[in-house]
Amino acid sequence: MEYKQTELKKGIKLHTIQTDKFKTNLIAVFITTKLNRENVTKNAVISAILRRGSKTMPSQEEISKQMEEMYGASFDCGLDKMGDNQVLKFYLETVNDDFLPQKEEDILKISLEKLLEIVLNPYTENEGFKPEYVEQEKNNIKQRIEGKIDNKARYALDRCIEEMYKNKPFGLYKFGYVEDLENINEKNLYVYYQELISSCKIDIFVSGILKDNINQVVTENENIKKLKERTPDYIVPKELNKDLPKEEKVVTESMEVTQGKLILGLNICLEKEDLRYDTLIYNSILGGSANSKMFQNVREKAHLAYVANSNYLRYKNNIFVNCGIEIGNYQKALELIREQIENMKKGEFTQEDINNAKKGIIATIKTIDDEQDTGITYYFGQELSESGISIEEYMERIKQVSKEDVIHIGENVAIDTIYFLKD
Amino acid sequence: MQVIENLKVKEKVYIEKLENGLTVMIIPKKGIQKKYMIWGTHYGSNESSFIVPGEDELTTVPNGVAHFLEHKLFEQENGTNSLDVLTSLGVEANAYTTNDHTAYLFECTDNFYEAMDELMDYVQHPYFTDENVEKEKGIIGQEIMMYDDYPEWRVYLNAMQAMYHNNPVKIDIVGTIETIRKIDKEILYKCYHTFYNPSNMTMVLCGDFVPENMLEEVKKRLVNTKASGEIKRVYPKEPEEIVQEKIEQKLEVSQPLYTIGIKDTGKCDVKKHIAMEILLNLLIGRSSNLYKELYHEGIVYAQPSLEYEFTNIYAHVLMNGQANNPEKVYQKLKEEVQKFKTNGINKSDFNRMKKMIYGGYVKEYNDVSDIARMFLADYFKGINSFDYLEEIEGITVEYLEQILKDVFKEEKMVLSIVKN
Repeated sequence: MEYKQTELKKGIKLHTIQTDKFKTNLIAVFITTKLNRENVTKNAVISAILRRGSKTMPSQEEISKQMEEMYGASFDCGLDKMGDNQVLKFYLETVNDDFLPQKEEDILKISLEKLLEIVLNPYTENEGFKPEYVEQEKNNIKQRIEGKIDNKARYALDRCIEEMYKNKPFGLYKFGYVEDLENINEKNLYVYYQELISSCKIDIFVSGILKDNINQVVTENENIKKLKERTPDYIVPKELNKDLPKEEKVVTESMEVTQGKLILGLNICLEKEDLRYDTLIYNSILGGSANSKMFQNVREKAHLAYVANSNYLRYKNNIFVNCGIEIGNYQKALELIREQIENMKKGEFTQEDINNAKKGIIATIKTIDDEQDTGITYYFGQELSESGISIEEYMERIKQVSKEDVIHIGENVAIDTIYFLKD
Repeated sequence: MQVIENLKVKEKVYIEKLENGLTVMIIPKKGIQKKYMIWGTHYGSNESSFIVPGEDELTTVPNGVAHFLEHKLFEQENGTNSLDVLTSLGVEANAYTTNDHTAYLFECTDNFYEAMDELMDYVQHPYFTDENVEKEKGIIGQEIMMYDDYPEWRVYLNAMQAMYHNNPVKIDIVGTIETIRKIDKEILYKCYHTFYNPSNMTMVLCGDFVPENMLEEVKKRLVNTKASGEIKRVYPKEPEEIVQEKIEQKLEVSQPLYTIGIKDTGKCDVKKHIAMEILLNLLIGRSSNLYKELYHEGIVYAQPSLEYEFTNIYAHVLMNGQANNPEKVYQKLKEEVQKFKTNGINKSDFNRMKKMIYGGYVKEYNDVSDIARMFLADYFKGINSFDYLEEIEGITVEYLEQILKDVFKEEKMVLSIVKN
């Protein structure tokens, strides 16, 4: 495995991961831009509109047919919040030439060109997107926004984040807002798209059995050539929470549910960025594994829940504690969770707990290179946060965490928001 | 050991059937750090009536026992829980239950043999007490309630109710609050001893292993058990007809969810499975006319997921998605099937779709966990996973047209909807 990055132009980077572990090549293009209320909905529609058609593949059917023809190249788009940024993600996965039943022309080169065309050279009419596509995709995004209630566990987490980050960029819903869709039309959206493409951060990832000419294929690509250098408009997620919340916010919401979904949003106050590694261990002991306090005490001992865990959101330094409980058990579960957080602060865990957490985290780090998309996600995370730490250094840093370090994190954790979804 | 090599994906599987009846499959993956082990029994929610080898009488147990056993096997006599032990080793351990099998697994980079000790120990040493069985009812109760809140699960399970009169595929894998209440340690032991005999089990290992050595490691850890005779599985008789064409449930969702099901009869094999995948994609896949039309009219906004599910006792087509008007999707699909039947299948569309399906099969070989799980699940269906790569070439338009006629019958179709 060999990872390399090349700055093609200011603000535009090519990242290559040379690896022979997979049957496939995976290409990804990430468009990163600042998250704000003004543009969040437009970005969501852009991400949907680009898959509708490009210059030489003017419709979705045409794109699909060409992908099918390339042995089922899978084309996929996603939309993510990473810190205070919104990232538009485009992926194309193709079977590597070595595993095709007959000799074909360089599928990697063709697929790379196609993906770049989809993102950078969309189908247009009269200086705008195709009106029909815009109308349909606005409707599509509307469905997605309204669809956030469909998965109740996910909805509860989204709502907790929204409450914690009220009137702040990170509180925005990644698909945007229905009322903001109204003002979008084929002309103003296209104008916005051109602005976005000329000012955003662009990262291109190619992973697989690569030929030497890969850099050349990208630099000489017509769609890359016409891009201008830029000082990309995004936020490096390095900000650390300075203060702990002074009081807890409690939010209860009613919906048609059989099971209550309880989410606790915790804030972690760190003096320096390096403490994020200690926080990983902290989270693992609190609710990150089957050995954790949440799993052991809330599920196994008190039998209050089937799902009882916690997740660390490193870009914002939050931990979200999550469990599905009988609605009448709300107080009981909440008290029990508080007790776990309190015990973490008091250092009521063993050196063995720390060792176990380390083993689990290190095993995950070691497999980064064994999963093609995880590899890309990892290197992109490094790129975005400008940390440039190698996989070896990462493991080393995890190994150094001591009990005092974890207690120190415990002392700097506080509940910000308690969110409960009930019937 | 028997060795089967596939030149298309350049992988090999080593297979050995041991004296005690256990089948072991090893798929070596050079240069990969991740190692995966999965041990499964050919026993899932389908089996609730059976004749224990050596007995004459039929045993019938409450629904949800296979899944309950999956939860309880982790508990050890010395008071430890194997899931904790495995997690302490830094390995990612889990278990799951399906209609036709139950499996225990872990994935790791280090401590492989220690984890293997633990996995093989706990699967071979059940320890059930009245207390630990009672305790689990609370946890599983929450698991059942969690599924009640998943509209995707409801719409699927309702489609099963509409299609099947008696077939156990219509019951919830986890059981219900009422059925799990009836489960006790005697029932668990009885089912364990019946279905966890090595002759009913299969193990798959995938990672950077030397197959011969790995087989010895497996043998070393097996307790002495003799292969049992055949377990007679008794399934209720299922008529060919569906129960009802339409079924609806109210849940708070943004837009209706639908499952269109087509009940199929008879055995399914690799060839038929491949043909079904090609056919479904031609009918309503990403590049199909029908999908284009539904999308343009604003009826659907994402491609439905398409599946042909089968075990030894059932087979059906499933199409799932969200639509503002599921009835319309259902109607148009029926019309499209009719068109295909009348006009025949376009040859170039067929060839393109074949290429796509082939690529999809190759992609299954990227990850050790996907590979191991696929080989296990296919094995319980009597299939060697490599066959998909080999048989696809021989699929013809004529065969597809035959399948279209045999399976896509209007009187076998159901529509399940979940909406506000």
